[in-house]
Amino acid sequence: MRLALAIASFVVLIVHGVVFYDQFFYRWERHQTAYFEQARSLSKNERERAELDARSPRIEQTIVTSFGDTRVDRCTTCHIASDDPRFAGHAQPLKSHPYSAAMGDVQRNGRWERRHKFSDFGCTVCHDGQGRGLETKYSHGEDEFWPEPLTGYVTQATWRKDFAAKLKGNTYMEANCAQCHTAEDFAGTPSVNRGRKLFYAMNCYGCHKIDGMSEGTLGPDLTEAGKKFKIDYLWESIVEPRANLASSFMPKFNLAERDVRALVVFLKSRRGVNFAETSLDRYKAHVENVAVVIPPGTAGEKAGEQLITDRACTACHKLGDRDGGIAPDLSYEGLIRDNLWLMDHFTNPRSRVPDSIMPTFRFPGEDFERITAYLGTLKTPPPAMPPADTYKTLCARCHGEKGDGEGKVAWYLDPAPRDLTKVGFMNSKPRERFVASIQEGVAGTSMPSWKNALKPEQVNGVLSYVLTTFTKEPSREIKPHNVPDQNPVASSATSIQHGEAIFLERCTGCHGRKADGKGPNSLDITPKPRNLRNAAFVASVNDRRLFDGILYGVQGTAMPSWIDYGLSKNDVGDIVNFIRSINQKKGSQQNAGQ
Amino acid sequence: MSTLLPETKPEKGAWSALKEMPSNVWSSIFRNPLPSTDLERASTSFTNFFLHIHPVKVHKNTLRPIYTMGLGLISLFLFFILVATGILLMFYYVPSTTQAYDRMLDLRGTVAFGIFLRNMHRWSAHGMVAIVFLHMCRVFLTGAYKKPREFNWVLGVLLLLVTLFLSFTGYLLPWDQLAFWAITVGSSIAGYAPLIGQQMKFVLLGDTTVGQEALLRFYVLHVAVLPSVLVLLIAIHFWRIRKDGGLSRPEQPQCETAVVKMTLEPAKKKVYGLQGFVRGPFTKVGNVPDDSVYAWPNLLLAELFVFVLTVSLILLVSLAFNAPLEEPVNVMHPPNPAKAPWYFLGLQEMVSYSAFWGGIGIPGLMVALLLIVPYIDRGTKGVGRWFAKERLLANTIFLTLVILNVIFIIIGTFFRGPNWAFVSPF
Amino acid sequence: MPVASTNPQSHTATDEQHMPRRKVLAWLTSVGLFGSAVLSAVSNLVFIKPRATYGQPARFAIGKPDDFPSGTRISLDVKRVCIVRDGGRMAAISTTCTHLGCIVGISDTGFACPCHGSRFDQDGTVTGGPAPKPLPWFKLSLAPNGELEVDKGTMVEPGTYLNV
Repeated sequence: MRLALAIASFVVLIVHGVVFYDQFFYRWERHQTAYFEQARSLSKNERERAELDARSPRIEQTIVTSFGDTRVDRCTTCHIASDDPRFAGHAQPLKSHPYSAAMGDVQRNGRWERRHKFSDFGCTVCHDGQGRGLETKYSHGEDEFWPEPLTGYVTQATWRKDFAAKLKGNTYMEANCAQCHTAEDFAGTPSVNRGRKLFYAMNCYGCHKIDGMSEGTLGPDLTEAGKKFKIDYLWESIVEPRANLASSFMPKFNLAERDVRALVVFLKSRRGVNFAETSLDRYKAHVENVAVVIPPGTAGEKAGEQLITDRACTACHKLGDRDGGIAPDLSYEGLIRDNLWLMDHFTNPRSRVPDSIMPTFRFPGEDFERITAYLGTLKTPPPAMPPADTYKTLCARCHGEKGDGEGKVAWYLDPAPRDLTKVGFMNSKPRERFVASIQEGVAGTSMPSWKNALKPEQVNGVLSYVLTTFTKEPSREIKPHNVPDQNPVASSATSIQHGEAIFLERCTGCHGRKADGKGPNSLDITPKPRNLRNAAFVASVNDRRLFDGILYGVQGTAMPSWIDYGLSKNDVGDIVNFIRSINQKKGSQQNAGQ
Repeated sequence: MSTLLPETKPEKGAWSALKEMPSNVWSSIFRNPLPSTDLERASTSFTNFFLHIHPVKVHKNTLRPIYTMGLGLISLFLFFILVATGILLMFYYVPSTTQAYDRMLDLRGTVAFGIFLRNMHRWSAHGMVAIVFLHMCRVFLTGAYKKPREFNWVLGVLLLLVTLFLSFTGYLLPWDQLAFWAITVGSSIAGYAPLIGQQMKFVLLGDTTVGQEALLRFYVLHVAVLPSVLVLLIAIHFWRIRKDGGLSRPEQPQCETAVVKMTLEPAKKKVYGLQGFVRGPFTKVGNVPDDSVYAWPNLLLAELFVFVLTVSLILLVSLAFNAPLEEPVNVMHPPNPAKAPWYFLGLQEMVSYSAFWGGIGIPGLMVALLLIVPYIDRGTKGVGRWFAKERLLANTIFLTLVILNVIFIIIGTFFRGPNWAFVSPF
Repeated sequence: MPVASTNPQSHTATDEQHMPRRKVLAWLTSVGLFGSAVLSAVSNLVFIKPRATYGQPARFAIGKPDDFPSGTRISLDVKRVCIVRDGGRMAAISTTCTHLGCIVGISDTGFACPCHGSRFDQDGTVTGGPAPKPLPWFKLSLAPNGELEVDKGTMVEPGTYLNV
C-alpha cells in the first residue's frame, strides 16, 4: 500500500505539473510575439523598435459600453495587427482589417480613416463571436453552445451540412449593421431591405408577428428571431418548414436561394429592442408600420392572375398545377363561390368561415378586387368523367382518397370534412340531405356549393359512388322521428335563460362553456363537437334538424339521444332558442323573437 | 531574589533562548517526536489538535478496505476539495444575472487555472453526491445503523439531504441554459409539496420565477449557509462515531486464531488504561482478545492513502473533462427536454407520471423511512457484515428501493428526449 | 493492510528488510505531496492575480493628433488622464492625485485637487498641499493606424514629449 501511496502522490504531482505548464503557454502569446518581431522589422526608427521591445504578450481588450450590455472584446489579443495598416497583406490572425468605403471609411491624404473605430465599437458588435474567449474554438463561436458564431465565417459542427456553404459570406453581417442603421432604404444593407420587402410580399406577415411590423398570430412571433435562432435554423425553417417541427403547417414557398438568404439576413436582424431606438421611436414605428400600405401589384388584364402568384396565394391554395397543400382548391372558384363571398373572405376570412385559419392580409382594396375578378372568371366546369374521377378531382382534397375525411388539407380545415366511411352517420340520413349538402354547400364551413359545377346527374353519380365505395352498407330504412318542423317554444328571455341553464348543465362537456365546440371532452371525440357559435352554419340549419339532432342524437357521432336522458320537447325548444340567441348579430338582439 | 536574577540571567538566557529558538518553536508546535513506542503512539492522538479526533486504537475491522471502502472519508475529502476550490472561485464569481455567465467565460478564457478549478469543483460536487449516497448504502448493507448508532444514521441522512441541496444550489450559479432550466424544473418539483410547496418555492427563489433574486439566494445558501450547516453536521457525525464506539463490527470475533492470541498478551498490559478510557462502555478489557491496532500510523496511513487517491482521481478527471457550460440563459427559449440535475432526474421521471407522488409523496416517504429505519429495525443480528443473512429482508427492501431509484435516474438521464418522450441513447 | 508494529513478534526479519524500502517510499510520498502542495500554493497565487482587468484597459487610443490643436489641455476624466499639446509636442499626464487618489482638476496654474488642496503646476510638479509626489506622466505613442495611444502601464520621465 505504501507503494501505491507513493505512486498516487506522484500522479498528483504530475497532474499539478501538467496543469501548471498548461497555463503558461498560449497560442495568443505566440501570435503576439510574432507580431512584435514582424513589426520590429517594419519599423522605421530606433524609438519604435525600442517601444516594441518593451512590450510583452498580454491580454488586449476593448470594453464597449455603448451598445446594450457591456461588451468585452479580447479579439485583438490574437488579431493584434487588426488596426495596423502595414499588415494588410499578412495571413490571419496577423492581418489588418480591410478598409472599405461601404463601411464608411474615408481616405484622407492617402491614408484611410475608419468610420467605425475599433476602440469605440469593438469587434463583436459587427462580427458576433464570443469576445471574451481566448481560444479559437470559443472566441469564434465554433462551440455549439455559443448562440452567435462569427457571422458569415463560422458554421458550427451541429449545423446541417447541406446548408453550411450557403451560410457563409459578408452578406450575413448586414444583419448586424441593421441594428443601428434601421432606415428601410439604408444603402449598406441591401439584403435586409430585400428581406423586409419579401416579408410583406410573400405574406409572411399574415401569420408571423414582428413588433412594429405585423400582427399575425398563426406562426411564431419573430420579433426576436435574430436573438433566439442561429442562421442555420432560420434557413432550415424557411426552406423546410417541417424539419424542425413536424406539425408545422407553414407552407413551402420554394424561394430562390438569394431570396431565402435575404429573408434569413432580415430575420437575423430582428433582435427585439434595438439600441439605436428610443421607446418613442419604437412606438412611432409600431403605429406607422401596422398601418403600412403594401403597394398595389401590377395592373392590367392579367393583373389578378399575376397577383395570385406574386402574393403567394398558391403557397397554401391549389390553382392549376400549383398546390400549396394547405388550403382549398381555387380551380373552379368562379363556379362555387360568388364575388361577394370572395371579397368578404379577403377582407375578413372569418366572416364566412368562422374558424378559418386564413390570415387577414393587408393588400390594397384594388388588389383584392383584381384577384376576385380573376377568380370569378374561373368558370370552366370540370369535364364529364366517371364519378370515381370526379370524386378524386373535386372531393378527395378534403374528404380524402379513402373518403375517411383525411384529405391532404383536412388538418387545416375547421370544421373538419365529413368522414364518409362512418356508416352510423351516413346511412342514418336521407339521401336528399346529402344531395343538398353537395349542391348548396354547407354554410360556415369550407364545403362550397357545387350546383354550378356539377350537373344533378353528376352529383347523384358522385353520391352513389361515395355510398357504395366508402359507406358500403346500404341505407337503412329511416324511421321518421316525431319532431316539429318549427320550434314550438317562442323565443323569450325566460326560454333562453332556461335553455342556457340546461346547456350549461348537460352540453358543456363536449360543446364547451362558450358553446364553441371546445369542451374538455372534445379532444377525444371524432368528429369534433359542432361549434355552436358558427352563425352561418346555425342559420342554415332548420329547427327540425336541430330538434332531431338533440332529441334523437346524431348517429356516428358522440351526440347522444337526449330524449333518453329526460329532455322534453319544451326543454329542447329552450335550448334551440338559446343557441339561436347566441348567434344573433349584435344590434338585432331585439328582433330575436320575431 | 527578584532584583538579583535579572542581572545575571538575561544575557545568558537571551543567548541560549535565541540558540534554542528553532527547536523550542518546533517542539512547542509538535510536542512529541515521531512516536516510536506504543505509549507515544497513543499520546499522538491526544496531543495533536488535528489528530485528536482519532481514537488511540482502532479495531482491525475498521481498517479493512473492503468493509468501509473509505466512502465516508472520500466524501469528507471531496468536501475539503470543494471548500478549497469554492473559496478560490469566489474571487472571480459575481452572483448577478448580467455578469455570472461572463465570469464563467472569463474563468475559461483569461483566468489562470480558472477552468481547472471549476472542473475540480464541478466534478467533486457530483462525486460527493454519489459517494455520500454510496456511503449510506454501505452503512445500511452492513447494518451499521443499529444501536447505539441510530442517531448517527439520522445525522447521516440529514447530511445527504444537505449535500443534495448544496449541489442543487451550486447548479444554478453558472447561469447558463443548463443551470437555469434545471433549477426551474427542480424548484417546480419542490412546488408540488402540499400546502407549503408554493410558499417554499417562492421563498427559495425570492420571486415567482428563477431570476436575479434566485441567483443571489442560491449563492448565499451555497457559499455560506449550507456549508456551515454541513460542517456542523459533519462535526457531530464524527464526534458520534467515537462516542458510539467507533465503526460497527461483528459482535463476536469471527475467529479466535493464532493472530488474535498473539496480540493478546502485550495489549493487555499497555492498553488497559487508555483503551478503557476511550472505548467507554464497550470495552471488555482482558476477557476478550483485543483486535485493535494503534491509530498512528495504521489509521493515519489509510486516511492519507484515501486522501491521495481521491485527490489524484479528481485531478485526472478535471484534466480530462471540462465542466459543461451551455448557452447563456434565454428565458424565452427552454431547451427540450429541460432536465433537472442528474441526481434529481429520478424525481423528474417520477413527476412525469404523477406530479404529487413523484415530486413529494415518494421522496418524502423515502426520506421519512430512512430517518426512522434504525428505530424500526431493532434486531441486533448481522451488524458489521456485508449482506448478513440475518438481515436479508431489510437489505432486500433497501436494495430494491436503491435500484429502483437508480433505474429511474438512468431512464431520466439517458432515455428521455424532447417532450420527455422515450428515446434510445444507442 | 499491513499492521505496523503493534506487537513485538511482528518485528521479524522480513520486517527489517522492509525498512529501507519503506523509508524510500515514505520519502517519495512526501516529495510528491510536498511538491504538489507547493505547486498548488503557487498556482493559487497566480490564479488570484487577474490577467485581464474589468475596468478600463491600461492601454487605450484617444484619437488622432489633429483632434488636439496646439495649446490643448483636456482632462479625460473617465480615463483619468490629461492630454497636453504644445505645438508639435504632446504628453499624457495622470490626473490621479498622488496624495489620496482623488481626481485633480485643471486650474489656471496647472492642476488642483478638490479633496485636500494639493496643487500642481502645468507639468504636474507639486506646488502646495499634502501631495508627496508629482503627477506621473504616461507613455504616449503613435500607433501604426495614426492614432495616439496612452499606456497607463508605463510611466515616463516628466517632460518627455511625443513629437507629432
